[in-house]
Amino acid sequence: MSDEGDNLSLTQIKATDQMKQLMVEYYIEAKTTTEKPICWITSGGPVEFLIAMDVIPVYPENHGAMCGAAKIAPGLAETAEEMGFSRDLCSYARADIGGAVKQDGAIPGGLPKPDFLLCCNNICGTVTKWYEELSRYFDVPMFLMDTPFIHTTKTKHATEYVRQQCLELVGFLEKQTGREFSLEKFAEVALRSVAAVELWKGVLKTAESRPSPFTCFDAFIHMAPIVTLRGTQQVVDYYELLKGEMEQRIADGIGAVPEEKYRLVWDNIPIWYAMRSLGNLFASNQACLVADTYTTAWAVDIKIDDPLTSMADAYTKVYLNIAIDIMLDQLLGLMEKYQADGLVMHSNRSCKPYSLGQYDLARAVTERTGKPALIIEADMTDSRVYSEAQVRERVEAFIESL
Amino acid sequence: MGAGLEKLAALREDPYAPARSWKERTGGKVIGYFCSLAPEEMIHAAGALPVRISGENRVISKSGAHLQSYCCSLARTGLDMALEGELSFLDGTVFVHTCDTMQRLSDIWRLNAGFVFHGDVVLPVRFEGDLARDYEVKELSYFKERLEEYLGDIPDDALAESIKTYNRNRSLLSEIYGLRLENPGVLSSVDALTLAHSSALMEKSEHNTFLEEVLEELKSTGPADGSKVRLFGVGSLMDQWDFLGMLEAVGATMVDDDFCNGRRYFDALTPEDLAPVEAVAARLWERESCPCKHLTKRDRAARLLDRIRRSDARGAFFFLFKFCEPHGFDYPYLKAAFDKAGIPSLLLEIEQGSVSIEQLRTRVEALVETIKI
Repeated sequence: MSDEGDNLSLTQIKATDQMKQLMVEYYIEAKTTTEKPICWITSGGPVEFLIAMDVIPVYPENHGAMCGAAKIAPGLAETAEEMGFSRDLCSYARADIGGAVKQDGAIPGGLPKPDFLLCCNNICGTVTKWYEELSRYFDVPMFLMDTPFIHTTKTKHATEYVRQQCLELVGFLEKQTGREFSLEKFAEVALRSVAAVELWKGVLKTAESRPSPFTCFDAFIHMAPIVTLRGTQQVVDYYELLKGEMEQRIADGIGAVPEEKYRLVWDNIPIWYAMRSLGNLFASNQACLVADTYTTAWAVDIKIDDPLTSMADAYTKVYLNIAIDIMLDQLLGLMEKYQADGLVMHSNRSCKPYSLGQYDLARAVTERTGKPALIIEADMTDSRVYSEAQVRERVEAFIESL
Repeated sequence: MGAGLEKLAALREDPYAPARSWKERTGGKVIGYFCSLAPEEMIHAAGALPVRISGENRVISKSGAHLQSYCCSLARTGLDMALEGELSFLDGTVFVHTCDTMQRLSDIWRLNAGFVFHGDVVLPVRFEGDLARDYEVKELSYFKERLEEYLGDIPDDALAESIKTYNRNRSLLSEIYGLRLENPGVLSSVDALTLAHSSALMEKSEHNTFLEEVLEELKSTGPADGSKVRLFGVGSLMDQWDFLGMLEAVGATMVDDDFCNGRRYFDALTPEDLAPVEAVAARLWERESCPCKHLTKRDRAARLLDRIRRSDARGAFFFLFKFCEPHGFDYPYLKAAFDKAGIPSLLLEIEQGSVSIEQLRTRVEALVETIKI
C-alpha cells in the first residue's frame, strides 16, 4: 500500500504490517503468475467464484484507491481525459483506463492484464460502462452480473434472475479457465468467506466501545483483504489477528483518538488523498469517526446450506443497491449502535449512486435524531476538485456545533 | 405551411398543453415518465395518458436542495418543475431503470414530489439472453399488476389494441423520417424532431391523426432545397430547438439521429403476434439500444455507422448532457470509430438552462466548413 496507508491512526495498529505483507504478496502473485488466470472484478462482485476456480481477482477500484492515496490518480486520469473521457466521469474509471494505457499505477508497471472481466452492477451502473471499455481495450470477454436495484420491494423474480446468473457465471468461468467447477471447493471458499465476514463484522463492532479502538480511516485501510481476497484462509487469519488486537485495546482502555469526546459516522467512499489530513483534523478536535456506511458494505451474509440463493440475495441487497429510505434505516441503525453524535457525508462527484440522495438523508437523520450532519463536497481520488482550506473550516465549525 | 406543421411551434412552446387539455376533457389520469423505455402501451391500455417529462431550460430553485450540481440538468430541472407544482396535471410517475442518476431520482421523487402513483420498472441491464428476457417479462408483468391496482384492469385485448395504435404511430414517424432521408429540405430538422418528440406528449391516436395530416402535407410538397450539409445527431434527449434552428441557419441539417426522443423513440415495432406483455418486452430489446443497456452481440458504433451511411450523412455531432455517464463512456470509442470511417464529428456538452447558441454556432460552422472542403 502507499505511504498514506501508514500510521493513519494516531495509535499505530500492529497488525498493519501483516496486512501490508498480505496485500504485497497478493499483488506479487498477480503480477508474476504464469499458471493462474487474471480476472478484473468490481468491488461488489462475487469473488468467491474466482477463488474457488483458482483465478486471481484483481480490483481496479482497490488500485484506484491506492492511486488516490498515493496522489497519482489525477495524472493517470489525464491520460484518459486526453482519450476523450470527460472529467465528469468517475475518477476511479478514468485513473484505471489511463493506468491501463500507460501501464502505470500504484504498483510498478500497473495492474496485470486481465484474461477476462467480471462486472457486478450492484454498486453502480458506471462499472458496466467502465468494464465495457476495458473489454474493448484489452479485447477480453466480460461477464455482467446484473443485480436489479431494490426501490421498494425485493422481488422473487429478481433474486431468481441473479441466482441463475451465478450458475451462468460458473459456465463462463469453466469456459475461460478450461477447468471444472467444484461445488465442494466452492462450499469451502464460501465457508471461509463467511468466517472472514463474521470476523470483519467483529472488528467493526469493537468500535462500539468508548473510546473506540480504531477510526473509520483505519477501517478504510484494513478493509482491503475483505474486499479483495475473502474466501481465502489468509484473510480469515488476518482478521482474527486484527480483532484480537482491537479487543486487547478495549481491555487496555486504548482509544484511537486521544481523549475521544465526539463520535461520528462517515458516509461514502473515503477521500483517499486527504485521509491523513482529515484523520488528523478530526482527531485533533477530539472527534472519532467510529463507523461508516462504506466498510460495512462487505459484511454480507451467506448461508452455507444454500450458498447460491443466499449469495444472490446478499449481493443484490448491498447498501448501494437499495433505495434511500432503506439506506436511511440502516444509517439510523448505525448511528444508534455506535452512539454517534453526528454524521459526516462525503458528497463524491465520482459516485452518483452513493451521493445523490445525501441531501435528503442528511435532513432526515437530523430530523429523526436531532444530530447534525456535515456534507463535504469532494472527489474520492481527483484532488484537483478538493479545497483543503474550505473543508478544514467546515469541519471545525461542525465540531464546534456538536 | 399547412395546419399540421403550424401546431409544432406551439408544442415546443408549451409541451404539456396537450396533456392538460386531455385531462380536462376526459377526466382521465396522466402518468409521467422520464425514460423512453417506459412500457407506455400498458399505461395507454389502462385508459391513462403516458407523458414524457424531459426537463426544460430553466434556472433551478427547489431541486438544488435534493440533487448535487454534478448531476444532469434533465434530473435537476425535471425535479424542479415537480417541486414547483408545474407538473400538477400528473397523477403518477414511472421510473425505468437506466442510469445511476435516474435510479436515485426515482427515490427522491417518490419521497418528495407527492404524486399518488409511483412505479419503478427495474428492467434488466442485460438486453440479451434467455435469463434476462425471462426476468424482463416477469418485471413487466409485475409492473402491470401495480399499474392495475391503481388504474384498473388492463385486459389483453386492450393492450393488443394499444400496441396497434402505438405501432401505427411508429410507422408514421418512420415514414416521415424516410421522406427526409430522400429529401431533407421537405421538413426542417427542428420540425422533424418535434414530430417525434411530441408523440410522447399527446394521446397516441390523436397524434396519429396529426401525423397523417402532416404526412399528406409533406407528400404534396415538391422538391425542396437539398444543398444543406447532412449531419447525424447522437445523444440521449435533444430538446434544444434553437440549436437545431441554428444548424439549419448555418447551412446544415440533421438528416437522422440516435436521440431517445427521435429515432430511438419510434424505432422497431412491437410484435403483434406475441402475448402482449412478451411483445412489449421484445420491442424494448429490438429497438436501437441506449448505452445504459449492456449488449455483447451488438456493436453500437457499427450500427450507428450503418445508419450514418444509409442516411448519407457527411458528419455527426454528439449532443450530450453534461454529467451523463452512459453516453460519456461511449463517446471516445464512438468518436474513434467515426474518425476511422471518415465521419468528422463534434462533441457538444450542454446543460438545460445554460445553452449558449452563439458559442455552439462557431463550433458547428467549423464542422460544416470541414465537410464542405
